[in-house]
Amino acid sequence: MSKPALTTENVTKIYGEHRALNEVSITVEPQRIFGLLGPNGAGKTTLIRIINQITGPDTGSVSFFGESLRPEHVHDIGYLPEERGLYKKMKVGEQCLYLARLKGMSKREAKTKLKAWFERFEIEGWWNKKVEELSKGMAQKMQFITTVLHEPKLLILDEPFSGFDPINVELIRREILRLRDEGATIILSTHNMNSVEELCDDIALLNRSNVVISGGVQELRDQYRNATYSLQFTGNMLAFTNALWTNFELVEKDSEEHDHDVVIRLLNGRSLNDLLNTILPVVEVHGVQEIIPSMNDIFIRAVQESSQPEAAASQTDAS
Amino acid sequence: MSKIGLIIGREYSSRVRKRSFIIMTFLGPVLFAAVIIGAVMAVTNDTTFHQVVVVDETGLAETYRTQGRLFQDSDQLRYSFASEMQDSTFASSPYTLWLEMTPVALKTPDVAVYYKGYPSQNVQDKIRNDVEGVLERNRLEEHDISYEDYQAVKVRASVRLIDIEDDTKSDSNLGARAMVGIFFAVLIYMFIFIYGVQVMRGVIEEKTNRIVEVLVSSVKPFQLMMGKIVGIGLVGLTQFLMWVILSSIVMAVAQGILIDQVSAGAMADGNLPAGTADMAAMMDQYPILAGILSIPWGQFLGTFVFYFLGGFLLYGSIFAAIGAAVDSETDTQQFMLPVTVPLIFSYIIAIAMIANPEGSAGTIFSIVPLTSPIVMMVRMGIGLEGSYWQLGLSMALLAATFVAVVWLAGRIYRTGILMYGKKATYKELWKWLFYKG
Repeated sequence: MSKPALTTENVTKIYGEHRALNEVSITVEPQRIFGLLGPNGAGKTTLIRIINQITGPDTGSVSFFGESLRPEHVHDIGYLPEERGLYKKMKVGEQCLYLARLKGMSKREAKTKLKAWFERFEIEGWWNKKVEELSKGMAQKMQFITTVLHEPKLLILDEPFSGFDPINVELIRREILRLRDEGATIILSTHNMNSVEELCDDIALLNRSNVVISGGVQELRDQYRNATYSLQFTGNMLAFTNALWTNFELVEKDSEEHDHDVVIRLLNGRSLNDLLNTILPVVEVHGVQEIIPSMNDIFIRAVQESSQPEAAASQTDAS
Repeated sequence: MSKIGLIIGREYSSRVRKRSFIIMTFLGPVLFAAVIIGAVMAVTNDTTFHQVVVVDETGLAETYRTQGRLFQDSDQLRYSFASEMQDSTFASSPYTLWLEMTPVALKTPDVAVYYKGYPSQNVQDKIRNDVEGVLERNRLEEHDISYEDYQAVKVRASVRLIDIEDDTKSDSNLGARAMVGIFFAVLIYMFIFIYGVQVMRGVIEEKTNRIVEVLVSSVKPFQLMMGKIVGIGLVGLTQFLMWVILSSIVMAVAQGILIDQVSAGAMADGNLPAGTADMAAMMDQYPILAGILSIPWGQFLGTFVFYFLGGFLLYGSIFAAIGAAVDSETDTQQFMLPVTVPLIFSYIIAIAMIANPEGSAGTIFSIVPLTSPIVMMVRMGIGLEGSYWQLGLSMALLAATFVAVVWLAGRIYRTGILMYGKKATYKELWKWLFYKG
């Protein structure tokens, strides 16, 4: 198996009395889209800054494609910060060239590639415009281009979709997938759980400076299944609840006369078959599906559990 | 090209292409010349004619006037005599000056001149001469001494102060040389402020529009800070060089006008024979010129460039740290004290050195790093002979302090540029110094 694109091992960072990161270890496999999730203030930005070598870890280590992180690696990393800006008075082309050359590209190479990107995004006419003349969405296209222009092996995108209109969101989404398919590894930091489900292969969830959960999106969703089923039936609700008894829990119900739509959680190690055996004699079943938790559910649950240590402990005991 | 070179290039080219820079570069020398020419013109060319009314209770002034000795009219004023004068009648009269000579004035040599428009120095001198003459002659008569005897015994000794190590330096031109020093000191002072504030604004701009986070993912914060300071310093140096070049052109043109003006004035005073308005005569007549020309200019300008850059880099890095510590320009006030106090202090020292060119305050503060860029320029103007070790020490200290301050500023900068919404205090900045990279 190839070396991971990026690993952090027990990275800790302390600002004064605030512990921004506590023994954070993540592994980002190459050519995957890795979601870095977490509520505000969880430590995502600090971790991203450490990967970008804007700041260094107090303890712990970071390695980049198997090598210990070195200053030259900034040329192989592209970073689109959440709070992003440009020099307003500078011309678009000039500024793109400047940023590209700061990433170590030659003037000629940068110019050729910029022309290609400007064509792809259909913004050729902007070259001599001043940045202050651009709309917010236009400026963000420009920022995206300057982030990916030097063809970094690792792309770090912090809330890349914020501020874009739906058409541009789709454009950027396609570009992200294309860049991954062409070999780039991408770290995506976002609050937008829909884009996590659509784009991410793996995730790590940070809360209060710690990694709370990490793994593949599919595996996590499987792992967070908790024997909950959605069930549609016709019949007497009272008889139905009596039949459930103590082995099944009625979580939600939505009734219309004799048609019912309910959510049932299996208890005491019962299976779906047990449930069906119990209720088939009482009501007429129309349909049943397992509920797979969304990333949003997982996010909220994991954050809540990790924010209440006692609750989290009891949860671990139960499982 | 190295990254710091790229940053310097951007800072430099984006500024020298600005319209305000181009305008200032071309307008500066013209303004300078206009101010100097205007001042000279105003002094030598004040042609306001004064009607002086003399209320002479002693009767002496009028006597001497009729004898043709004193209180004669000139092309700038005419004397008239009145027995009395009221404020209101003076106000409505055509008289512009009102001289009150009372018998008391003969004892306490105090006379009052009331004016409608403030008289030029020439007019004041003329009136003072006339009054002095009257009082003198009055006292001579009281002591029964003839005016001729008095003239014969009156001696005005000339005591010349000459530096033992540099005989071109004499008291007659020391003041002028100090003035030249102060002129260049003020230039450094202005440049530190104007361009230092530009460094600070540039940092705040990068911080508030959030491009800084993109930049520091490509370059080290220290490179970014130094690139900005050096780039803007070069802009300042460019402006200065352009001023020197343009000024020499403008001055060459203006010199004709000036010399005509000055020599015309001198001839009118009858002090200078017509036709000798050449440099040698001018230098005798105007020790300021002799003083200016006696400065070793090569050495002087070399030191100027050193202190200009040294002072700018030192203060520029403090300005950069201030910019990094705040979120907007309005928050900078509290941190400006460490910059403004030493700068204004050195300015005051520099001015005080006109009165006491070789005093110990000047010596001390020309060595202390935060004040040396300004104070040393005045000392360089006056002349340093024998104290070159002080210049060396001052330069070495400035360089060392620069390194230390840049290092400290870099630490504040590095933390500050990525810190938003946090109201920075001195205590906070102190903590930032110890954050690990």
